[in-house]
Amino acid sequence: MISFEKFTLDNGLKVIVHSDKSMPIVAFNILYNVGSKHEDPKRTGFAHLFEHLMFGGSVNVPNYDDPVEQAGGENNAFTSNDITNYYLTLPKENLETAFWIESDRMLGLAFSQKSLDVQKNVVIEEFNQSYLNQPYGDVWLLLRPLAYKVHPYQWPTIGKTPEHIANAKLSEVKEFFYGHYAPNNAILCVAGDVSADEVLQMAQKWFGPIPYRELFGKIIKKEPLQTEKRTLEVTRRVPYNSIYKAYHMCSRSHNDFSTVDLTSDILSNGKSSRLFQSLVKQKGIFSNIDAFITGDNDEGLFVITGRLNDNYTFLQAEEAIDAEVEMIKTEPISDYELNKVKNKFESNFTFGLTSANEKALNLCQYELLGDANLLNTVVDSYRMITNTDIQRVAKKIFATTNCSTLYYKADNTNQ
Amino acid sequence: MLNRAQQPPIKITDNIDIPRPKFINLNNGARLLIINEGDVDVCRVDIIFDAGSRYQNKKLEATATASLLAEGTAKYSSHQIAEYFDFWGSFIGTRADKDFTKVTAFSLTKYLSQTLERLEHIVKEPTYPTNEVDVWTSRGKQNLTVELDKTSTLARMELFKCIYGENHPYGMFAMPTDYEKISSDNLLSFHANNLGSVGSTIILSGKVSDNQISAVVKHFGETSWGKGRVNTLQVEESSPTLGKVFVSKPNAVQSAIRIGREICQRTHSDSSDLSILNTILGGYFGSRLMKNIREDKGYTYGIGSYMVSLRDSTMLAITAEVGAKYTKDALTEIWKEVNKLKTEPVPLAELSKVQSHLMGEVLRSFNGPFATADSIIGLINYNNLDYSLHDRLIKSIKHITQERLMQLANEWFDKDLMVECVVGPENPF
Repeated sequence: MISFEKFTLDNGLKVIVHSDKSMPIVAFNILYNVGSKHEDPKRTGFAHLFEHLMFGGSVNVPNYDDPVEQAGGENNAFTSNDITNYYLTLPKENLETAFWIESDRMLGLAFSQKSLDVQKNVVIEEFNQSYLNQPYGDVWLLLRPLAYKVHPYQWPTIGKTPEHIANAKLSEVKEFFYGHYAPNNAILCVAGDVSADEVLQMAQKWFGPIPYRELFGKIIKKEPLQTEKRTLEVTRRVPYNSIYKAYHMCSRSHNDFSTVDLTSDILSNGKSSRLFQSLVKQKGIFSNIDAFITGDNDEGLFVITGRLNDNYTFLQAEEAIDAEVEMIKTEPISDYELNKVKNKFESNFTFGLTSANEKALNLCQYELLGDANLLNTVVDSYRMITNTDIQRVAKKIFATTNCSTLYYKADNTNQ
Repeated sequence: MLNRAQQPPIKITDNIDIPRPKFINLNNGARLLIINEGDVDVCRVDIIFDAGSRYQNKKLEATATASLLAEGTAKYSSHQIAEYFDFWGSFIGTRADKDFTKVTAFSLTKYLSQTLERLEHIVKEPTYPTNEVDVWTSRGKQNLTVELDKTSTLARMELFKCIYGENHPYGMFAMPTDYEKISSDNLLSFHANNLGSVGSTIILSGKVSDNQISAVVKHFGETSWGKGRVNTLQVEESSPTLGKVFVSKPNAVQSAIRIGREICQRTHSDSSDLSILNTILGGYFGSRLMKNIREDKGYTYGIGSYMVSLRDSTMLAITAEVGAKYTKDALTEIWKEVNKLKTEPVPLAELSKVQSHLMGEVLRSFNGPFATADSIIGLINYNNLDYSLHDRLIKSIKHITQERLMQLANEWFDKDLMVECVVGPENPF
């Protein structure tokens, strides 16, 4: 049980406090409800580029990192399709530095041309390092637009292409900031050896004076139901053939989300899971296989991916995956197997809550989904799932017309 | 009126209470450390053997012995073992590095005794069935082939080879064909001769009570098994190849840069001060290399310098992946920063920032029971659980001076004694 207290300031900022006297450091986490899904399709990668610019100085503090390091702190951030999250850990005596510096960059950024130019370059190198200079690195650049035709999940957070980043202008950056960065679009959590009173006081002192802001009210279009089988074949200089199958699934807040999550665990969480035992160990068709959900807040993807062994064709590989998927739809899973994935989930989930920063991030994420206390009830909600639920949801998801398949072919010539 | 231009007063942490878990000597020659912390009901057991790849007769022996521990025992098949651990929600990790073999079990506290019951079988009596060895080698071969397609992997291997020599235990790497030479008999014998109770260390961390402690003692503390290692010999001398190495990787959009050398071991009197110098150069986000090469020039997504500690050797490594067209300029800037440390005193403001940052880092290394366990494991790797390492580091952080840093830079950052490795589309040398 993770205990916490929750407040909302007059300007709309939500503040959560988790007190834990045993922690030697305190975690300060601030989540902004802005991700790559809020971007213009012609200006992708912007939310993530923006995350970099948030470290380029703010209205009253010319440099972000120096004072944080001076206070013995460490900080970082990440951007997803749904959110941008900033976090610091620091000795508890210096907690106020986090309030000071984070409130200043919520108030306003320095918006320097030099910072923009450099960070554009840094992000393009990140694009190169993570997507272009890795074997199989461009998979998500191919799979997303195959699966999504309308919804902005059709591009990854890094963006569709480095050109979009290279073309970003300072004026657009400013516009993006005032449309998304606001107290009423953020959730703050402090976790560690602190009291709710002292946190609330500091929050009022530093964040309280920042005015409520009108946000970009852009409505994100829902992805229409997929009605035909989609495939794409590419050839790349990689050592082995790989296959990726993406099925549309429900949103994070949908009642079926936990059932779909467990279904992916039945297929591939742990060495005893079905795909690994059957297709890697027994049949030897794949050397690696995985099934997972993207876990997005809006309607996400259920992905099955595998790297083929040399003696097998794409056709054989796909038939083998389809047979496993068919089995989930037609044969009810045993109580034993269902219990197994539930235990596995509980363990996985609980291990994700052992440090101050993990607790703070999770409290913010569940608050965004509706209520921070979901963190304390989620294991029980997974315990309620039945074999009938699994079968019903599997039938809904695993249809050929709901699937986008990427055949990633190895070009072994000149290697 | 709120003065937003003024940083709130900060306090420099000066007294850090380093957890020193007591250890219990067990009847079978192993020892047990207990780190009882945390507020969620999970725990972890680590068993550490002095059984790294340095002791193997054939490449991959140590890795295969560790990786295949859970793939069959006298009583249970690989599938039965996997089913069992998955059912209780436990995760088992087994791996060998150059010095040690580590077995780690993550478990819900309420199911720890179930986890340990089967863990005992896999640690003490693995059988290495031939069919499991075959699956492992064929998968391992594929995974390594994919790894070898990465510029970063190639550059890292070149650096180790150049610094230690490719026949040295620390400079040796397996190639895909080495997988074909591993047999079940090799692994049985490596296991019997290296993964015994004597000299092993067991760490129990997380939210635990007496029940969990007695369960660990019951399964791993009473009877002895196998052969262990009590007195470890020093690894042989390295035979470095100095100079510049380029490996061509046509079509790569980035070059991987690795620069480094062997430096003094952690027992040496320069070591803790040197780690501060390394931090200034490339050991944190605000470091010289990050500020110049990422934050000013934008040549890279990340650059850093590290002190990589093996049991009997420590190396300094500067690492970066840079846009291919910036390779030459990045190298020039790296050396500029190294030289600056030799010729100009580190400004006091920067020094005080690094001091605070490092004290924060020490605190962060005890953020939760598992971070604490990792720190303790680091101490075992260092001179068999000698707690003076942390004390010396804290003392260094408090007392370091500009003069000392410059002196160390001149002593240890000699370009002629460093190796430069680049893997990319074009030779920058």
